[in-house]
Amino acid sequence: MTTTLGARPAPGRGRARARHRLTVLAFTAPAVLGFVLFFGYPLVATVVFSFTRYDLINPPELTGLANYEFMFKDPLLVKAITNTLWFVVVLTLARTAFALGVASVIARLKSGVGLIRTLCYLPSLAPPVAATLVFFMVLRPNGGPVDSFLGWFGVDSPLWFSDPAWAKPGITAIMLWISGDLMIIILAAILDVPQEQYEAAELDGAGPVRRWWHVTLPTISPVLLFGVVNSVILALQLFTQAVVAGSAGSGAADATGSTKYLGFPDNSTLTFPVYLYAQGFRYFDMGYAAAMATLLFVISFGVTILLVQRMRKNSSAEEGGPGA
Amino acid sequence: MRKHTRAALLCVTAALTLTACAAGKGGGSTSEAAAAPGQDDKLTLTVWSNFSDREYGEVTKALKTFNQKFPNIEIKHEGSQDDDKITAGIRSGNTPDVALSFTTDNIGQFCSSGAFQPLKAYIDRDKVDMDQINPAVREYTEYKGNRCAMPMLTDVYAMYYNEDMLAAAGITAPPKTMDELYDAAVKATKRAPNGDIEVAGYLPTMGFYANRPTILAPYFDAAWETADGKSALATSPGWTEMMTFQKKLVDFYGHDALERFRAGLGQEYSADHAFHQGKIAIMVDGEYRTAFLKAQAPQVRFRTAPFPTLKADQYGTAFTTGTIMGIPKGAKNPGAAWELIKHLSFDTDTIVGLANAIKNVPSTKAALESPKLEVDEAFKTFVDLARSDKLKGNPVTPIGDAHIKAVTDFSVSYQSGQVPDLAAGLKGVDQNIDDQIAKSGK
Amino acid sequence: MTATLTKPPSDIPTEPENPRRGRTKGAFLHWVATHALGLALGLMFATPVVFVFLTAVMPDDQAFTSDLWPREWHWENFVEVFDQAPLFRYLVNSLTYSLLATGGMLLSSIPAAYALAKLRWRGRNLAFLLVIGAMMLPPQVVAVPLYDTWSSLGLTGTLWPLIVPYFLFDAFSIFLLRQFMLTIPQSYVDAARVDGCSEFQAMVRIVVPMAKPGIAATALFCFLFTWNDYFGPLLYTGEVKDQWTLSLALATFKGMHIVQWNSSMAVTFLTMVPAVVLFVFAQKSFVKGITFTGVKG
Repeated sequence: MTTTLGARPAPGRGRARARHRLTVLAFTAPAVLGFVLFFGYPLVATVVFSFTRYDLINPPELTGLANYEFMFKDPLLVKAITNTLWFVVVLTLARTAFALGVASVIARLKSGVGLIRTLCYLPSLAPPVAATLVFFMVLRPNGGPVDSFLGWFGVDSPLWFSDPAWAKPGITAIMLWISGDLMIIILAAILDVPQEQYEAAELDGAGPVRRWWHVTLPTISPVLLFGVVNSVILALQLFTQAVVAGSAGSGAADATGSTKYLGFPDNSTLTFPVYLYAQGFRYFDMGYAAAMATLLFVISFGVTILLVQRMRKNSSAEEGGPGA
Repeated sequence: MRKHTRAALLCVTAALTLTACAAGKGGGSTSEAAAAPGQDDKLTLTVWSNFSDREYGEVTKALKTFNQKFPNIEIKHEGSQDDDKITAGIRSGNTPDVALSFTTDNIGQFCSSGAFQPLKAYIDRDKVDMDQINPAVREYTEYKGNRCAMPMLTDVYAMYYNEDMLAAAGITAPPKTMDELYDAAVKATKRAPNGDIEVAGYLPTMGFYANRPTILAPYFDAAWETADGKSALATSPGWTEMMTFQKKLVDFYGHDALERFRAGLGQEYSADHAFHQGKIAIMVDGEYRTAFLKAQAPQVRFRTAPFPTLKADQYGTAFTTGTIMGIPKGAKNPGAAWELIKHLSFDTDTIVGLANAIKNVPSTKAALESPKLEVDEAFKTFVDLARSDKLKGNPVTPIGDAHIKAVTDFSVSYQSGQVPDLAAGLKGVDQNIDDQIAKSGK
Repeated sequence: MTATLTKPPSDIPTEPENPRRGRTKGAFLHWVATHALGLALGLMFATPVVFVFLTAVMPDDQAFTSDLWPREWHWENFVEVFDQAPLFRYLVNSLTYSLLATGGMLLSSIPAAYALAKLRWRGRNLAFLLVIGAMMLPPQVVAVPLYDTWSSLGLTGTLWPLIVPYFLFDAFSIFLLRQFMLTIPQSYVDAARVDGCSEFQAMVRIVVPMAKPGIAATALFCFLFTWNDYFGPLLYTGEVKDQWTLSLALATFKGMHIVQWNSSMAVTFLTMVPAVVLFVFAQKSFVKGITFTGVKG
């Protein structure tokens, strides 16, 4: 990457400078406006709303810290946080490890790479709603393909989306199926590992496994970190799969995000964003939803900082110093 | 400069926040009655309901009878709009003129928030005689004296049982108490050699089909509220009885076997319904099921009877709920909407016609006594219950159905054996419901 | 944005040199093992869709049984679903949302990305950090005030609250485009400036043509993201059925319109088709885009 020697005018040429400023302004004005309208304002307003009681019909009423106090008395919130933490831990580990595993296998293929890589990647493009329904169908405990398959071995299929203990693993399975994008990123990183390093390791008598462990892994570790952070964010935001799995699992007749079926079975799929949605847009307790949003913001902000730090390190390494 | 930008950003956001908060919200609903439409006004009334398929068609027909009085009003009926969608519609300003809600779960929230407009002014203006309506039904259409809805027919819940299956199990008379129900459920259950359930006598799982805490409460004499308006799950012994009864049945089936069985059953309003398929012998359900059975499973020989009660002397009690109609805040034609609601609530011919078509119980005394009301043997149980004074309605709270969800959730955990101490658990749910009501500030 | 970072892959990476070609029996066995594993993986990813497809063409009474293979092939199931639900309406809505959003995104994000990649100004690093921050933010965080604002404007119940933001600011696209533009040597831009081009001309004549693959990738991801979006349409159009998008409608299908599994699976299959078609036609762009989000980030 070349250094970005921008068009910064020499000092002293006031007019050119003003013009340059105008140019920058012209290029960024829509984005700045958009950022202020759709991020700046709502972020501030969310915090303001979190101190109110607001049902979108009657004007907001200031209630001080009542919403935050209620958080400590709300068993469903505990459930929602627990569920989301479950995903943050399990989904992150499973997704990163799975993508790494698949990418490592594909990297070793000599023929048919294109086809297999495409097959592994395509599911990640499917609409999440469709992907969830696909798994609902495939994992169906009464005669679905997986059930039949397990039946050959005399094993009873789990009830998946009808069983509180299996609903989250079921959703994790969906997420793995659509993890093709992370896989491609890791694959690219693996293929970028300089061949000489492998050859050097081979000369030292390292077998394929040790080469993978001692050469591949350390070299691609920044990408793995990216995978972890990215998966954490995905887990924090998990919404669609949880809502669709919950309503499909409950066998509900009218299912789009109805409060009756959010979290089915036994609130095991009630993730933090799902609960926030239920409070804000089903019960229309906007104040409480805003308090939850503030909490979610604080958490995701922390994760973002982590990623930004890593990116800064990377880019300064790549660009050979503070280029911009 | 950086400082300046940041300051400017803050200013803009602050200004936006203020304007958004101040922007003409509120306004509230007027307490004045809007005038009825003239005979020449051309207008369209939008009606939302949660009916679908066969029922949707019949309700649309009933709505059209309004045109006999107002041929100038076109009616647009949108089905499959549940309470969540109605609530969201009112919030977002995509409001129908008349909203039909399937359950009465949310009436407290509809009335207290102003989502449904108060109807008192209309009732006073038109001198409507509310005594035509059964007291239990009157109760579930208002909240703390604020009437914001009117009933469109009503539902009464009783026991359905499969005659052949009970006879095969050697049961000749329908169970009348919970103990008899337990015995019948055990006897009518059939298992495969490997222990899998093939037929369940009675499914105790909370949240399944009509097994909702609201519906079951009257049969166990379980009260929702104490005299001072607190949640009464721990203090009213009926709840403990209900939970224990259900748990006893769950243990009889085995929790895992029961869940496996249940996961394979069809949806509540589809032809795959377990009772239609002969997979359960006894259930609690509303009178509308008679029509579903007739249309979707004519081969099933079933009978109805009042649902068993905990105490023998309470036999004949029944839960009642029903479709309610309200004029949402922001409705474009409130005056015309009221005329439609009045028509559906009080026009005897319309009520009887619709009751016959979708097999619901009429909500006025006149319609209930009408000779045109078709009452077959199965339906008679419900009409008789409706004429009695033992009907019990829904608990009305300002938190929508959150209290019902709390009880259902608790019951599900209790049935799966995750709650070691029932009394403490119920107390916890009480606390949660009270907290939620306090938070709502109503 | 649910899939924030991982949306896009690199140039489909090329195979590494193989120095060990045709060596020993051990190497051959190794070859067999890895390829068997690779094949198994490919099948594992593909079979769910195959099952969905097979179920979709089954006759009504076979679809919910444990049969895996259709007794008869009912191709008409794919056509009949259009009668069972207003699929065309949903399709039009989905296209409106996706196409307008993508168009708006290109208009707003290219100049912003250009300013971040090719112009020097104070606060640029901070601005880039804000873009990343916005990209990582769960959409639920800002949903409450935005919904409030859109509803006071009377625009809830339409797709506009979802489309309009793209005409101003889309963090992910700005981020991705900036990454692409950074790879264009600054000397080209400088040369254009020396030739007397304004910044706008430099962007339109030099950078945009050179960044075409990147722009294509960004547009693809934007299109797919909006096509797949569920939270947005659910939030703003949940109660207004004639504004539903395919993704939203699909979630309600099983109960509302269609009880049969075969029809439900037919619709599921149909909603996945556009992504596959796009991928087939623009494989390179996809892969390039994806690696840019991850590796070069």
